[in-house]
Amino acid sequence: MLTFSSCEKYLDINKNPNNPDQVEAALLLAPIQNFYALGIQFDARYIGRYVQNWQWFGAGDAWDLHGYVPNSDAGGEIWRNVYWKGGLNLENLIADARANEKWDYLGVGLAMKAWGWQMLTDAHGEIILSEAYDSDPNKNTFNYDTQEKVYAEIVRLCNEAIQALNRTDGRVSQVQLARGDVIYKGDRLKWKRFAYGLLAVTTQRLASKKSAYDPNKVISYVDSSFTSNADDAMLTFNGLNTTDASFFGPIRGNLQPYGQSAFIVRLMDGTVFEGAKDPRMPLMLQPSGDGTYRGLTPGSGQSTAASVPTNTRVVNPWGGTLNVTPAANTPGKYIFTNTGPFPLMTHAQLQFIKAEAAFLKGDKATALAAYRRGIESHLTSPLFGTGISAADRTAYLTNETIIPKTAAELTLNQIMLQKYIAEWGWGFLDTWSDLRRYNYSSDVYTSFQLPQNYFQNNNGKPVQRLRPRYNSEYVWNIDALNKIGGLDIDFHTKPLWFTQP
Amino acid sequence: MKDQLLKWLLLFVLSGFTAFHTRAQDRTITGKVTSAEDGSAIPGASVVVKGTARGTNTDATGTYRIQASTGQTLTVSFIGTQSQNITVGNSDVVNVILRQEASTLNEVVVTALGVKKEKRQLGYAVTEVAGQDLAQTQRDNFLNGLQGRVAGVNIATTSGQPGASSQIIIRGVNSISGNNQPLFVIDGLPIDNRTAQSANFVAERNSATSFANRTVDFSNRAADLNPNDIESITILKGPEAAALYGVEAANGAVVITTRKGRSGTGRISYNSNFTVEQVGRLPELQRVYGQGNNGVLQSNVFNYFGPRYPENTTFYENAENFFQTGTGQRHNLAFEGGTERYTYRLSGSYSTRQGVIPTTKYDRFNLSLAGTAKLSDKLSTESTLQYINTDNIKVSKGANSFLLGMLQWPATDNMSGYLDPATGLRRRVTAGNEIENPYFDVNKNQLRDVGNRILANIGLTYDATNWLSLTGRAGMDVYSTQYLIKYHPQSNRAQSFGGSLDQATDNNRTITLQYFATARQKFGKLSTTMRLGGALYDYNYKVLSSRGEKFLDPEFVSINNTDPLTQRSLSRLEQRRLVAAFGDVTFDYNNTLFLTVTGRNDWSSTFPKANRSFFYPSASLSFIFTELAGDAGLRDVLSYGKIRASLAEVGKEAPPYATSQAYENQPTTGGGFGYGFTAPNPFLKPEKVTSFEIGTELKFFNNRLGLDAAYYRTRSRDQIIRDLRISYGTGFILKVINGGELWNNGVELSLNAEPIRTNNFTWNTILNFTKTNSRLVSLPNNLPEFYMSDTWVYSNIRNGVRVDGPLTTLTGNSYQRNSQGQILISPITGLPLTETNWNVVGDRNPDFVMGLNNQFNYKNLSLSFLLDFRKGGDVYNATELFLFRQGLSKRTLDRETPRVFQGVLKDGLENTASPTANTIQVIPYYNNAYYTSLADENFIERDVNWMRLKDVTIRYALPNNLLTRTKVFKAANLYFTGTDLFMITNYSGGDPGVNATTATVGGSGGFGIDYGNLPLPRTYNVGINLTL
Repeated sequence: MLTFSSCEKYLDINKNPNNPDQVEAALLLAPIQNFYALGIQFDARYIGRYVQNWQWFGAGDAWDLHGYVPNSDAGGEIWRNVYWKGGLNLENLIADARANEKWDYLGVGLAMKAWGWQMLTDAHGEIILSEAYDSDPNKNTFNYDTQEKVYAEIVRLCNEAIQALNRTDGRVSQVQLARGDVIYKGDRLKWKRFAYGLLAVTTQRLASKKSAYDPNKVISYVDSSFTSNADDAMLTFNGLNTTDASFFGPIRGNLQPYGQSAFIVRLMDGTVFEGAKDPRMPLMLQPSGDGTYRGLTPGSGQSTAASVPTNTRVVNPWGGTLNVTPAANTPGKYIFTNTGPFPLMTHAQLQFIKAEAAFLKGDKATALAAYRRGIESHLTSPLFGTGISAADRTAYLTNETIIPKTAAELTLNQIMLQKYIAEWGWGFLDTWSDLRRYNYSSDVYTSFQLPQNYFQNNNGKPVQRLRPRYNSEYVWNIDALNKIGGLDIDFHTKPLWFTQP
Repeated sequence: MKDQLLKWLLLFVLSGFTAFHTRAQDRTITGKVTSAEDGSAIPGASVVVKGTARGTNTDATGTYRIQASTGQTLTVSFIGTQSQNITVGNSDVVNVILRQEASTLNEVVVTALGVKKEKRQLGYAVTEVAGQDLAQTQRDNFLNGLQGRVAGVNIATTSGQPGASSQIIIRGVNSISGNNQPLFVIDGLPIDNRTAQSANFVAERNSATSFANRTVDFSNRAADLNPNDIESITILKGPEAAALYGVEAANGAVVITTRKGRSGTGRISYNSNFTVEQVGRLPELQRVYGQGNNGVLQSNVFNYFGPRYPENTTFYENAENFFQTGTGQRHNLAFEGGTERYTYRLSGSYSTRQGVIPTTKYDRFNLSLAGTAKLSDKLSTESTLQYINTDNIKVSKGANSFLLGMLQWPATDNMSGYLDPATGLRRRVTAGNEIENPYFDVNKNQLRDVGNRILANIGLTYDATNWLSLTGRAGMDVYSTQYLIKYHPQSNRAQSFGGSLDQATDNNRTITLQYFATARQKFGKLSTTMRLGGALYDYNYKVLSSRGEKFLDPEFVSINNTDPLTQRSLSRLEQRRLVAAFGDVTFDYNNTLFLTVTGRNDWSSTFPKANRSFFYPSASLSFIFTELAGDAGLRDVLSYGKIRASLAEVGKEAPPYATSQAYENQPTTGGGFGYGFTAPNPFLKPEKVTSFEIGTELKFFNNRLGLDAAYYRTRSRDQIIRDLRISYGTGFILKVINGGELWNNGVELSLNAEPIRTNNFTWNTILNFTKTNSRLVSLPNNLPEFYMSDTWVYSNIRNGVRVDGPLTTLTGNSYQRNSQGQILISPITGLPLTETNWNVVGDRNPDFVMGLNNQFNYKNLSLSFLLDFRKGGDVYNATELFLFRQGLSKRTLDRETPRVFQGVLKDGLENTASPTANTIQVIPYYNNAYYTSLADENFIERDVNWMRLKDVTIRYALPNNLLTRTKVFKAANLYFTGTDLFMITNYSGGDPGVNATTATVGGSGGFGIDYGNLPLPRTYNVGINLTL
């Protein structure tokens, strides 16, 4: 017979033996970075259609028409990855860093947290912030916070991150940080610049708020952030199999139904920038079989009628037939390869932010300089390798339809359109935020055309946000969702706080 | 009667204070009680010294031991036999042969802990099925033979593929998300009936490659058993019956007793049969309109909304040609024999079966050695040892499966040419992404499991004195199965990563230990039996799995043939332990009134320390009221009458590792850890199931007509709800929580009759009737709905339950309606709008099910058949919805007819007094969006009835005079058995009895959802039985 205590011991086997229940910060960071990037890529399939980076191969697509698919988690991956793949893992990372004086991990963790909230609020507006991660098993309603509160929290987290990243005491160690950091391989300075960059992004989002907006702050944040392309935040995937490859890689097959938009083709083939052939076009976009660059118009799809010859049809970002699984070992191009890299924040992006801020402030000289640096920076991006010759680069930069001779000639359109090009294929949330700030205006986004007919639930309005993840909120957090109007069928067209004056 | 009851009560109270003790006796008489019919030992026979209170029962080997003196009379009795009185003479050994009373069914049943009890003592429903009856159906999986034979038992087969898993549910669903399948017990000890989960595979870690228990299926492990090794199966239906087995048996228990051989002349029996099987019903397709959309020819799509086929189009019978005639054979060889002290049985069985789908097969080899021994006067033992080897090849099911592909393949193309003769590569018929050619799927992809299993079981009984015996049993269930899922590099499932191979090896070790003391004592007319014991169950399940992609050689099947850079592996260990103490007391007053009280305390490793220990009791009462009737006249009509009642509670365990959180390894770039889906719950406590049952057993006309009726009601509280979805704001996606309440109740009737009994001709019939009801009373956190995500297989209908509804409902999205209930129509398209709420749209629970079993014997010829009836209950015909949306359903043939969908426009006026009626005309031929706009619930077929011939057997026994002349054979017979030969149903699809998921899915599972499933095949067997 077993004695009582030995019986107790015999039964003490309910701790999961397959994985640890406590790990150090270094082991938590890499998955969070991966899933943030994968989350953007996943939802980019939907946002990319809203912002006309690309369109769906078939006609009448709901997302092309600024709609959504009811009862579906589509458009909820960032939601999933911030709350779950980040979530408590990130909280534990921060706690471990704080408790063990790993100030570098603390800084990176706080910056990642701020970045997570920024992505989430960019996509969805009101989010669960103050009630997130409450571990009370009986708590079932998780209330939403206003975007105003979220923005304040992002700034607070960035500032705390910068403070932590300034520290060199405790257990700060480049070697240790490099263990978990797949973005910057442990370079604290770059993380500090990243935090400043995020401050610039979040501050510039409020440009429509005349009372709250301070362009000088934006400019100074940009000046404290990335100094060159070498600072770009990029995630390079192993790309060896389906689990560690870029979501945009041919091995994942996710982009096969998407064709580049007519809008991006117009921006690069000299239609909008009159006659200026963009040297980046052959590196970023895909020509049809006959060598001509074509794009899809939202909602129209690619006709497969016999009257449209196969070699004049738009192809997918890997150059393959639309909606056809790529053959194994398809290489892909630009960021559409198995390894990426996938940009998360770039020097060019921040220079365009600076240019816009200076332009809005009225300092056109600063705006022009930053605008030029932005284009230069993108043209020399390592994403293009040696694909753009110095001569092509010079020709483009000296073309006055691209870069005007004088600061006075610089237009907001040029800044926003060049920014759009530089962010095409990765900067979905930033691009979408810009478009929403300018009400998708073709006055700013020359030749941008909203869909002719919106999705049936839109009640004639363009999209403003993704609906919260269906299986998280529409089924299990209805009370909280109802308070922000989330159950309205046109909730996705409800404007966000940041775009309002 | 009143006096008797009072006396009985007094004795009952006194017995609590009376210590069991023996009295000084003259000498010990021993002996063996055997059956006159076949010489087998009779355990549980009563031996009483006439005129005294002394009595005992025979043990498992039929042996008794009692104190008596010369001249005293021993009364030996056993239910169903004629009692014998024997005067003790000079011999110390008194063997007794009991002769059966005419036409009495065997009334001893095996109950919990392997204890044989007279059925009259039991205060709850049990049903016993003879192993021979199941073996006779010639099914690989003996569970499938149980359908219709036992009231209250429902078997749902996953599909008609060889080796498909089967789900068994006894008396409805007690747990909305957890396992509802009963415990399987062999010779007193539990064994594993796991169906491998797709979570065992590395592929499951990535949603892009996961199988979600839908597209793959593996056998349920109880199917490993050889039906020919089964002596009998007792179904313990409720927690009353199973209270002594503990948490595992909250859903009832299937108690299997194996054959152990009989004493007497040694016998060799050989049984062999050959099988052919044919595919069951398949859906019918339209062949008027060809490929395309909106009336426009598009040869690269697999929609059939194009123009009419030109006249003289050549069509291929792709579906008919695809299937083959399945074949199989079985061989069983058994040796048995023994002496009074020893019996043994050695059997070997080999069966092989090729299914109706090319490449599928199920092979099984069973070797079994069993025996009993009486080691001394006091010590006896019985043991079994089984070795099982299985090899099963299946193909995919559900979405993207061969079946849907076969239906969808262009009828204008000869599907059988799946390889391009020039290149040897997969032949494609379009330039685009195309569905997988089913021939390619079954020939080039593979789904296989190969298992080895050893079941060992040893029991020891020590008869310490004539009133006390000690029993101990130890068992071991050790198996290892290798699973393989291979997708060819050119298969749709793996072409973007150059092929994939997932393999897993599981290792199960279940060790069980049980020991108890049994004390018997008799006080006048009151007999008591008391048992006190303990048990220990130790489960250890380990899986090692790996996955590789990018095949080097496209055909070679091995992980070594994949690119090393893509290889990933995973290890999973699951441990669970349970320690228990239990006891029960039975009071038997004058063989007329029986009261049994049980109590059990379990300590389970799956709960936090504070909630680890839990106690639950049960009480049951059986009253043979016909014993009180002295009037022989009444007894001629009502020969036996019993009423019974019981009340019980039982706990249910939590899944392992649910109380604390562990990280999971992340396969993304740079590696690392992150939390899994489910939030930990450090406050989990056992789920409580309480049950009440009342019933009666009546036998009329000297047992020629019998009725067994039961009503039960089960209430389940503090449900352990697994995979409850929550706001991701928690940091998790799912949680495990106690909460929610449900009940289910039901009526079971079992009627048996022997309408004809003459010397040459007999007819026996049994009718089993089952009706169940259930209700979800509450869900935790005021949640409105709970659904099983694995059952959400096609479009928006799933196994979802809502508060105040039954547990077997389907939820889905209905049309949007205005305040007057009129359907809302889109003013743009003229098509109906669908809402996004999940309402109950159907209930899969049948009104009742019935099994009718008949046996006719005429001289040497016998005929038996089992009919299975079902009345009512909805089935979601997702296959038909799929065909409808692809333009293949015959329901789409009127597509050229213009129509206006009746409803009102959603134009802002819909809720006013004068909504705008829809007048927008749609011609589906030009607008096949029509077919996707119709609500899914139109494809729930209501009140599906069926009558199936589950099995039929004709058997001819060669006459004895012929056999005696051969001097070799003792018995020989020839037989034909057919299974699932026909079904009459109002269901329009294939087989309404299949299951959209595998048996591993909890709650009410995926039955009643038909999506891309192979119907049960029609099977014909011919065979011969020989006994030497």
